[in-house]
Amino acid sequence: MANPSAVCNGHLHHHHHQKQNNLLKSGIYKKNGITKGAKKNGVSNGTLYKKTFIEHFEQAPMYVAVLTFLGFGVGTIFGYLRDFMRACGLEKRHIAAEREEQKDFVPLYQDFENFYTRNLYMRIRDNWNRPICSVPGPQFDLMERVTDDYNWTFRFTGRTIKNVINMGSYNYLGFAETDVNALKTVTRELQKYGTGVCSTRQEMGTLDKHVELEQLVAKFLGVEDAMVFGMGFATNSMNIPALVGKGCLILSDELNHTSLVLGARLSGATIRIFKHNNMQSLEKLLREAIIYGQPRSRRAWRKIIILVEGIYSMEGSIVRLPELVSLKKKYKAYLYLDEAHSIGAVGATGRGVVEYFGMSPDDVDVLMGTFTKSFGAAGGYIAGKKDLVDFLRTHSHSAVYATSMCPAVAEQIIRAMKCLMGLDGTTQGLQRVRQLGKNTRYFRRRLHEMGFIIYGNDDSPVVPLLLYMPGKIGAFARRMLQKNIGVVVVGFPATPITESRARFCVSAAHTREMLDTVLNALDELGDFLRLKYSRYSKSSHPELYEETRLELED
Amino acid sequence: VQEKEELIEEWQPEPLVPSVPKDHPALNYNIVSGPPTHTVTVNGKKCINFASFNFLGLLDNEKVKSAAQASLKKYGVGTCGPRGFYGTFDVHLELEERLAEFMRTEEAIIYSYGFATIASAIPAYSKRGDIVFVDEAACFAIQKGLQASRSSIKLFKHNDMADLERLLKEQETEDQKNPRKARVTRRFIVVEGLYMNTGDVCPLPELIKLKYKYKVRIFLEESLSFGVLGERGRGITEHFGINIDDIDLISANMENSLASIGGFCCGRSFIIDHQRLSGQGYCFSASLPPLLAAAAIEALNIMEDNPDIFQTLRAKCERIHKALQG
Repeated sequence: MANPSAVCNGHLHHHHHQKQNNLLKSGIYKKNGITKGAKKNGVSNGTLYKKTFIEHFEQAPMYVAVLTFLGFGVGTIFGYLRDFMRACGLEKRHIAAEREEQKDFVPLYQDFENFYTRNLYMRIRDNWNRPICSVPGPQFDLMERVTDDYNWTFRFTGRTIKNVINMGSYNYLGFAETDVNALKTVTRELQKYGTGVCSTRQEMGTLDKHVELEQLVAKFLGVEDAMVFGMGFATNSMNIPALVGKGCLILSDELNHTSLVLGARLSGATIRIFKHNNMQSLEKLLREAIIYGQPRSRRAWRKIIILVEGIYSMEGSIVRLPELVSLKKKYKAYLYLDEAHSIGAVGATGRGVVEYFGMSPDDVDVLMGTFTKSFGAAGGYIAGKKDLVDFLRTHSHSAVYATSMCPAVAEQIIRAMKCLMGLDGTTQGLQRVRQLGKNTRYFRRRLHEMGFIIYGNDDSPVVPLLLYMPGKIGAFARRMLQKNIGVVVVGFPATPITESRARFCVSAAHTREMLDTVLNALDELGDFLRLKYSRYSKSSHPELYEETRLELED
Repeated sequence: VQEKEELIEEWQPEPLVPSVPKDHPALNYNIVSGPPTHTVTVNGKKCINFASFNFLGLLDNEKVKSAAQASLKKYGVGTCGPRGFYGTFDVHLELEERLAEFMRTEEAIIYSYGFATIASAIPAYSKRGDIVFVDEAACFAIQKGLQASRSSIKLFKHNDMADLERLLKEQETEDQKNPRKARVTRRFIVVEGLYMNTGDVCPLPELIKLKYKYKVRIFLEESLSFGVLGERGRGITEHFGINIDDIDLISANMENSLASIGGFCCGRSFIIDHQRLSGQGYCFSASLPPLLAAAAIEALNIMEDNPDIFQTLRAKCERIHKALQG
């Protein structure tokens, strides 16, 4: 197995390499993606990466950027026009207004802050917050809602749109299911414990279920100890302040999630940002920090901690863990890895990016993750050495002030993890992980062949498809719904203003037929809306594809 | 360059976490086996439970459990997404409607974690440069919300209206020096209905008078008073007989009286709708598992159908207070 794939991959790399040289000559440059990555993997860092690391961040042709800005410009002009008409009274005011008695209070919202919301977001608002009325599995039922006044208000017609293919929910391993057998233990625990806990961890809130769950999580990840919390967002925002404080330095990736940013801000430490997944930028910051010390006093930093995520949810890129760990060891910094999307989704047995790169969990100081995505439950965990977890048990804000996890939810995580580890006697867990890997690679390959611009690593189940223009955001989501496929579209401010995208989340529960339906629909829609911006479609090298396909279907 | 390499070699960071002594009082948790209802088994011993916030005793109610079971069969456990991306279930919408109806406000919004409710609500309205007057004994979640908002915080002595009025007067004189800035600086008072740290009630009628006199908005945190105070459990506004529209925002968590998990904010649509796009704990976090939402709806049903449980609770509290005070 190893040898033929090495040759294959070498072959593939060679072609990539050549292609880039041609492009560089013709003056079209690329972002920190294929060019540097491919060269490094081929030559100097061949020893660091045990498998090839292929990420794509293709840039669209210039005319696309121009048209995008034009689209936003037109929207803004109309926005000003509408605001003017509303102020004159020519048009009806749809938004709720302040109370009569409080009209002379200082206004709660500045008009300008809400300009974007009022004029641009309102037009395409029907693509978000779509209510569903079934389990969020590979297919779900949407409640039909219509608007009579251009998205200012909605009403439900009472009908449901059945069996919409779900490409939006974070259901990577397909554990969001209602199969009675699978949920047997959860039903039992719900009957025994009830729904709430009504207490914090340090008071009466630690149930035996929590202890069982923590031990299982520690075993799953291969670390000494773990601690679980009731909410993933709160895990970050309440524990980072416990670990770092004033006089420490936080180096955080450009595209980190809001929970990490909030936790870093609440801690009071100094924050410096390095370019997304860019190890040179990080190294520069590390050297500067150690050499020059704190900004005014020049004293040495107490600690330096690096905050990164396993898979970035908007880009689909995977963190460059081997280089990061070697940097961290060289400069004696600490590493905090947020595996919200990658736990369960990557790695040969679903243990996250640490396993994906073949590294040991001892290399990462703080392993954090959430149970919402791959395990179909809710909550978060932090795992690592026993000292770390003991410290968090005593000093974390969450342990003292926040309620613990619901026991039925804890049982769902326990059964999902046991399934993944094979402790329930079946190989179902491993099958799910393999199915997810196959689905991911198939989906990404077909999208590349069709000519869409896709961001991210070839192995990440988060697939962002670039739309760029604001008008296409609304059109894409609505037409996909008409074809009975539910997608998620994101625009500004979650992404840079010119890079609106549709984000697909591949799941192990998707069958080949479902993926094919989606791909055919995308093909048609791509031609209709002219979304196929990519200048290199892979279909020009069919013989390469035959080889890689053989390698995967073993 | 040689010097730089030396500096890098020499630098020693602190250990990631200081070591915790083995006998730290908070290190070894009391492990509760079985459901934490009125009698609990703590570390193997059977005890009467005076520690959980199970005010209405709904934690082991059969109706609540069966509602949760039905929801589990239909929806599974998790929602696999935030509210914006297919994480909105019909149970969430139903719970929001029911809560708004129960509290007699226009709209309600649900969060998936009690702590995150007030900690996300405050920074959504109050930004850098705004002024917040907050009671000294405010709970930790409020403190974190204030820290995240970066506004200027003015503490007044616990339940001392004279102190608060003094601070407001000082602010008024400041405003007169700079009227332009004053016109855009938002002002808020954040108080709790029933204080977690001291156990007493805030003097709401006086606060309302101060609100209209000095033009400040009030945010009321009712985690402990929801389902406890008031004739039908609507909280401190019902207890004092105040028009609920006078309070700008009421925030509560469902983890005490409602025996579920999560939190909600209610108020007029003008105020609540803003949180749907700018409440961090709402937009960037997965939504509440539907079985917990269904349990909360059932608990609300019980609260509405049996208004005498609040009388019972109050009678028991008075009895204990009398007995302990001697």
